Amino acid sequence: MTDAIVIGAGVNGLVTAAYLARAGRKVTVLEARTHQERASEIGWIPPRVFRDLDLVRHGLTVTPPDPWISAPLPAGGRLELWQDLSKSVESIRRVSPKDAERWPRFTERMAKLARLLETLYLAPPPDLHSTRVSELLRLAGFGWRARRAGKETIVDLLRILPMSVQELLDDWFEHDTLKAILGAGGVSHICEGPRSGGTAFVLLHHHVGSPRGVFRRAAWKGVGAFEEAARARGVTVKRGAEVRAIVVKDGRAAGVALASGETLPASVVASSADTARTLLGLVEASWLDPEFVRAVQHIKTRGVTARVKLTLAKAPDFERLLVAPTLEYLERAYDDAKYGRVSSRPCIEARAEGSTVHADVQYVPHTLREGAWDDPRRNALGDLVVKLLGDAVPGLAPRVTAREVLTPKDLDARFGFPGGHLYHGELTLDQILFMRPVPACAHYVTPVEGLYLCGAATHPGGGILGASGFNAARAMLGGTR
Amino acid sequence: MLKETPFHPRTAPLCVSHAWRRWAGYVVASSYELSHEREYHAIRSSAALLDVTPLYKYLISGPDAARLLDRVVTRDVMKTRVGQVLYTTWCDAHGKVVDDGTVSRLDERLFRMTAADPNLRWLHENAVGLDVKIEDVSARTAALALQGPSSRAILERATGADLSGLKYFRVTRANLGGIPVTISRTGYTGDLGYEVWLDAGQALPVWDALIEAGTPYGITPTGILALDVARIEAGLMLLEVDYFSAHHALIERQKSSPFELNLGWTVNLEKGPYVGKRALAEEAARGPAWRFVGLEVEWESLAGLYAEVGLAPRLPAVAWRASVPVYSGSAQVGYATSGCWSPLLKKYLALAHLEGAHGAAGTSLEMEVTVEHHRKRARARVVKTPFFDPERKRA
Amino acid sequence: MKYDAIVIGGGHNGLVNAAYLARAGKKVLVLERRERVGGAAVTEEVFPGFKFSVFSYVVSLLRPEIIRDLDLPGHGLHILPLESTITPLPNGDYLGQWGDHDQNRRELYRHSPRDAEAYDDYGREMHFMAKAVQPILGMVPPDPTSLAPSDLLGLLRLSRHFRNLGREQFHALYKLMTMSSADFLDEWFENDALKATKSASGIIGTFLGPRSPGTAYVLLHHYMGEIDGVFRAWGFAKGGTGAVSEAIAAAARRFGAQIRTGASVASVSVKGNRATGVVLEHGEEIEAGVVVSGIDPRQTFINLVGEKHLPDDFTAAIKRYKFRGSSGKVNLALSELPDFTCLPGVGPHLRGAISISPSLDYVERAYDDAKYGAFSRRPYMDVVIPSMIDPGMAPPGKHVMSCFVQYAPFDVQGGWDDRKREAFGDAVVDTLAEFAPNLKRAILHRQVLTPADIERVTGLSEGNIFQGELALHQLFFLRPAASFAKYRTPLRGLYQCGAGTHPGGGIMGASGRLAAVEILKDGA
Repeated sequence: MTDAIVIGAGVNGLVTAAYLARAGRKVTVLEARTHQERASEIGWIPPRVFRDLDLVRHGLTVTPPDPWISAPLPAGGRLELWQDLSKSVESIRRVSPKDAERWPRFTERMAKLARLLETLYLAPPPDLHSTRVSELLRLAGFGWRARRAGKETIVDLLRILPMSVQELLDDWFEHDTLKAILGAGGVSHICEGPRSGGTAFVLLHHHVGSPRGVFRRAAWKGVGAFEEAARARGVTVKRGAEVRAIVVKDGRAAGVALASGETLPASVVASSADTARTLLGLVEASWLDPEFVRAVQHIKTRGVTARVKLTLAKAPDFERLLVAPTLEYLERAYDDAKYGRVSSRPCIEARAEGSTVHADVQYVPHTLREGAWDDPRRNALGDLVVKLLGDAVPGLAPRVTAREVLTPKDLDARFGFPGGHLYHGELTLDQILFMRPVPACAHYVTPVEGLYLCGAATHPGGGILGASGFNAARAMLGGTR
Repeated sequence: MLKETPFHPRTAPLCVSHAWRRWAGYVVASSYELSHEREYHAIRSSAALLDVTPLYKYLISGPDAARLLDRVVTRDVMKTRVGQVLYTTWCDAHGKVVDDGTVSRLDERLFRMTAADPNLRWLHENAVGLDVKIEDVSARTAALALQGPSSRAILERATGADLSGLKYFRVTRANLGGIPVTISRTGYTGDLGYEVWLDAGQALPVWDALIEAGTPYGITPTGILALDVARIEAGLMLLEVDYFSAHHALIERQKSSPFELNLGWTVNLEKGPYVGKRALAEEAARGPAWRFVGLEVEWESLAGLYAEVGLAPRLPAVAWRASVPVYSGSAQVGYATSGCWSPLLKKYLALAHLEGAHGAAGTSLEMEVTVEHHRKRARARVVKTPFFDPERKRA
Repeated sequence: MKYDAIVIGGGHNGLVNAAYLARAGKKVLVLERRERVGGAAVTEEVFPGFKFSVFSYVVSLLRPEIIRDLDLPGHGLHILPLESTITPLPNGDYLGQWGDHDQNRRELYRHSPRDAEAYDDYGREMHFMAKAVQPILGMVPPDPTSLAPSDLLGLLRLSRHFRNLGREQFHALYKLMTMSSADFLDEWFENDALKATKSASGIIGTFLGPRSPGTAYVLLHHYMGEIDGVFRAWGFAKGGTGAVSEAIAAAARRFGAQIRTGASVASVSVKGNRATGVVLEHGEEIEAGVVVSGIDPRQTFINLVGEKHLPDDFTAAIKRYKFRGSSGKVNLALSELPDFTCLPGVGPHLRGAISISPSLDYVERAYDDAKYGAFSRRPYMDVVIPSMIDPGMAPPGKHVMSCFVQYAPFDVQGGWDDRKREAFGDAVVDTLAEFAPNLKRAILHRQVLTPADIERVTGLSEGNIFQGELALHQLFFLRPAASFAKYRTPLRGLYQCGAGTHPGGGIMGASGRLAAVEILKDGA
């Protein structure tokens, strides 16, 4: 007999299960796929989750990249930015003394803001309409902390969060490559360009948890650690068990029905699948009010990232590489996406792991306006990526021995990313905090009693591994530690 | 520009009063003759022919047609039989009425829904996950109401069919003047009556056929003013007059639950989930805050107010649609939203919303009457509606 | 002679400010550089017999309390309704939006039955949003960095306002403030031309496209008038927008204010950290207890005051404050009315606005051109024919046509010169002529105004008609700079009352009035 069912054995699902089990619940995790497969290996794991689940013991290793980025310079050579701040300053000084001078100040202010955001991330989103004293105190505490961080920080918070990353960077820096490095972080996994409002927030979001001056996240290995941690706490993980429907009786969750025909009863069900799939796919719509359904249907999940995996004959000479020379380059790449086309000159962020290169390519629409995704188009995209990487890294192109191109459509089919979006919902300003995934579900609950959401679709969203799962588990346990 | 109904070529020449009005973007006659009086009497004594085309009509078909409607309306649609017509309300998620209308089961998987307001969007929004087709046939479907004691005889003559088997709130197919139509035993007058539904392209022949069949029986083209008096006598509410759609309300107070509109009987709490069920169940448990009732204004009290200024009582031959305060002692306890003098019952009737216990039948209250620019109050009594409920309505 | 207050700039906000101060008994002098007052709200007879509202075209949301307090109708203001908008479509059809509910529904229905219904629901939602926003429009923004009791109280009041909205409306408002107008409208409507026309109102005066986040809230503009009880403060002023300025000026004079035109202020006199008066271009010095600037923040602080008198962080913030003029204007004198292929002949549609916004992509592409330093080859346009509503604007039988155009970036590549101005004018006329083929032969005279022209003539920095972009990070308590969004400045006795303060631009007058309230509070 299981107390709680968790749908999906992704990081968040397993984290939720582990915390529920830690609190004494009998938990079963149901995963449709038969074997483990990780779509992304980049992110920040909150230290608390790291510790509580003893992930190191279960085999997880995290490797911060150093340099955390390198980008080709127009005159030749590369601009490299390092974990060590002064090393980065030196690196920048070689291309722009003015920017080098501003780097410490800039990184300090960004770090301050990121730290403030961090306090919001391993907790449910702020609820301005709460009548609970504890919540009002929490809000006041945040305001106090912001005030303590200084006038400048408050102004930054109000100004920078809604700003475009282009405007932020134009205010601070002059060098194109430096700006492109940061700008690319502001448009990562979002269907916006650097001139769009809210992209400064995205840059900050991806900075949370990273050291000062580091604007890309670490890679982690040891995919199975989360499942090990969950199993170690007594969680049952069933693979090849696809959930067909969530059983609802009298408006309450009563368990799940599997594709195999089996029914598993449980009084609590948490889904780490995306919101639309969970609530519109697995729950019978008559349990949901039409306004709620409409809100869920409108969640923006415009996946714009394709994943291209290249196997090389020899390891390349970079750890992380960015192909995007200027902010204008990024903006033009975004322009193509607006009209349903693949960027004729896409932005490429490549990560090398031995002789394998994982490239995130933007912008690649999930659905093309003209035509549909087929192998010729995939190959064309692969060719384009290899060509651009080859331009940036001489000698790379001929060394490619194998390649795999996954468009957002493929990512949707293979990993269940809605619209191909790995965060299950873009981090636009209207889809964060108490709006994520929709206001009614911002605290991990749904209109169906006993049914919860625990995946990246919820606050704080993607790129922060396990935080949603942690927050959801807390909410499910009644907010207790 | 405003739309003309398919019957306009027939109705326009008849409208010697030139008294037109708007209804759902169409022009319809307020009265055809210079006064609506004779038209009203036709409803109660012979047969009135009314153009009700401006109603919004939707065809819902497909395997999940019944399920969609059952999700939306408060009555049990799954249990309806082919040929059955339901009068029902539908509510928002908070149990407040969005609109009222009828649902007719034309076939196993085919329903027609009528409404006072457009509801296409609402139907679509509730159809998520259902295999159903929703068609807005408002413009394609013309509709006539034939109401009054002679209505059955006229229809039998026009269709050549025996309609004695067509019971109250049932619908059937027929052939009128050689044209296929559906006929429902429904109406807005609280009398024996029928509504004829037809393809808009056949409007004129059907009109002509009915006029021909009905002339010996005194069939009378009738406008909205006459209908208004009849519907008040029948205790029937009107959207935008007696209540406001939750979808148009700007503040909470403007919304009403079915219970507050004397339509608690349309709320089925036993059936499966539907929009607003939870809220409706909660309200049913604690009781509605308001009631919608009938008022009869006391003649002596009314006459006395006019006598004070040396006048005979001014009786509203044309029904008024306003908001008139209703008092209990010195406190205002509600408001009347429709009122008229009933030529048949010889009484001044009103439909009113009253707070709490003041809505009990027999309660003595006062309704405001403005007499020669001064606000006065006439005694009025709460009575159960319908005010007029003839046996022939259901016979 | 010493005045109680000197108002620099005779634009409508400066005039409103002067009127309120004079009404309170202060001795006020308004100094306007040009020969006429009004700033960008002026009517000029550019060609004999033809009157143009040169830089603007409609009165948007002139505050009802200002109309009442200054009795503007008694001083000649007459606002005529602008009740329809048509959007010509490339296939020869059009999409109309009409004032009458039934007519509007019928028109929308033929394009999309579902949009026809959604329109009412949308209107209702906007009504609620307008109600939620209205108190903020009339509020002096509290300083979020300050611990002063008045600011903390202001912040408390603000948060209480949001709490009182309730969750649903607060979330709806939040969405409206953060989304792009295209995304916001996508949630309501399916018809492209409808969405494009509505979202175009979201990008007026901003260097953003309909898909840019932060453009949805400007959609509210059209509904703000409703909650003033259909006050009809939105429409076309008889006599052009200049008539609005003239009415306010007349009211100000009636209350005793003096207005000097042809008087250009060269600098603000500063003693210590106090503003003590102004110095005019020809050297004349005028003293005043209080100096109020109605011109934009860059002109005020960088040009007239000077950096040396101001704290560094304030100057940095003002320098960071973005203008980025993005709009131009083309005014035409016509020998005959334009004959639109989609609605041939003379009809009620010519009394409303004609919006050249056939699709979202069209407007977005116009923005794309501007992003990379060019004016839009096929621009978005909001066109009105004032002489159809107010025949006095043109000689009998002839007409004036007013085209508000986007995008024309101030920073166009290579700069604006005569050739480029004409090319821009040609792009506008060519595009419009696609929909009204008789246009070119009907043009008697043409006046083209680029952002460079707007800056040159009116002084508005970079030709931005709102005295600074209406972007989220430059609004409310950040407009024009944090801690100085309450109409005050780092200098004692120096205030700001132009659209570079909350609530921003459009011919509202709100800044002028709120600044006056604060000045009087300080005991000027």
